Amino acid sequence: MAEKLEDLNLPLTVVTRIVKEALPDGVAISKEARTGLAKAASVFVLYVTSAATNIVKNNKRKALTGQDVLEAMADIEFDRFVEPLKDALEQYKQVAFAKKQASGKKKDETEDVEMAEDE
Amino acid sequence: MATPKAEKDLHLPLSRVKTIMKSSPEVDAVGPEPLYLVTKVTELFVTDLAKRAYKNSEKNFLEYKHIAEVVQQDDTLDFLREIMPRKITVRQFKEMMAKKAAKANDSDETSEESSEEESSDESSSGNSNSNQENKS
Repeated sequence: MAEKLEDLNLPLTVVTRIVKEALPDGVAISKEARTGLAKAASVFVLYVTSAATNIVKNNKRKALTGQDVLEAMADIEFDRFVEPLKDALEQYKQVAFAKKQASGKKKDETEDVEMAEDE
Repeated sequence: MATPKAEKDLHLPLSRVKTIMKSSPEVDAVGPEPLYLVTKVTELFVTDLAKRAYKNSEKNFLEYKHIAEVVQQDDTLDFLREIMPRKITVRQFKEMMAKKAAKANDSDETSEESSEEESSDESSSGNSNSNQENKS
């Protein structure tokens, strides 16, 4: 649960950093533009979440999966993000898998991690 | 083996994204994989929106209106329209109202005490209500 209202917003500084990396060097960004982008990003999180949970509901499942997020992109017509997301997911799985192997020796710490089992 | 750190390519804090996701009543648990993807796609989204807004800008200065312009023009960004309205000046607002009034033809109650339509967006989120703040 969010304790403070600010917890429901993405941090302005971090969003600004992402924006700066996206734009050419030396671009100035007004304060209002920064807060606007941060707000947009926060709302986007909810928008994607709701699209993904719709898919979960329609399939009469309970848990939200990565695949649901990918499929949600098509539903909200952000298909252009699907390919880069898939790549990111592939990479993520590999890292998660490597991590699991590394820590697997010590303990079977299963904190509902349902990560890559293949590869 | 040099482990590539996938999570390191993220900027946004996963914990915050998780909090936002969980604020949706339909979400109770968020696994690491969907969390990673939502975070990642949000970063893609911000990058994309900023780049497109930048195309509307001039003199290397990105302003709110450039973003609002993108939002108003792209139907897939409909979900942002309420939080990112086009802003107009008091003058434009008055002109709009004047036109409206002209149309509605002399129903003379419309005075011109312009409601300030500059909407200074800094609606402070200082939740000052002394509710019971239960910290868990």
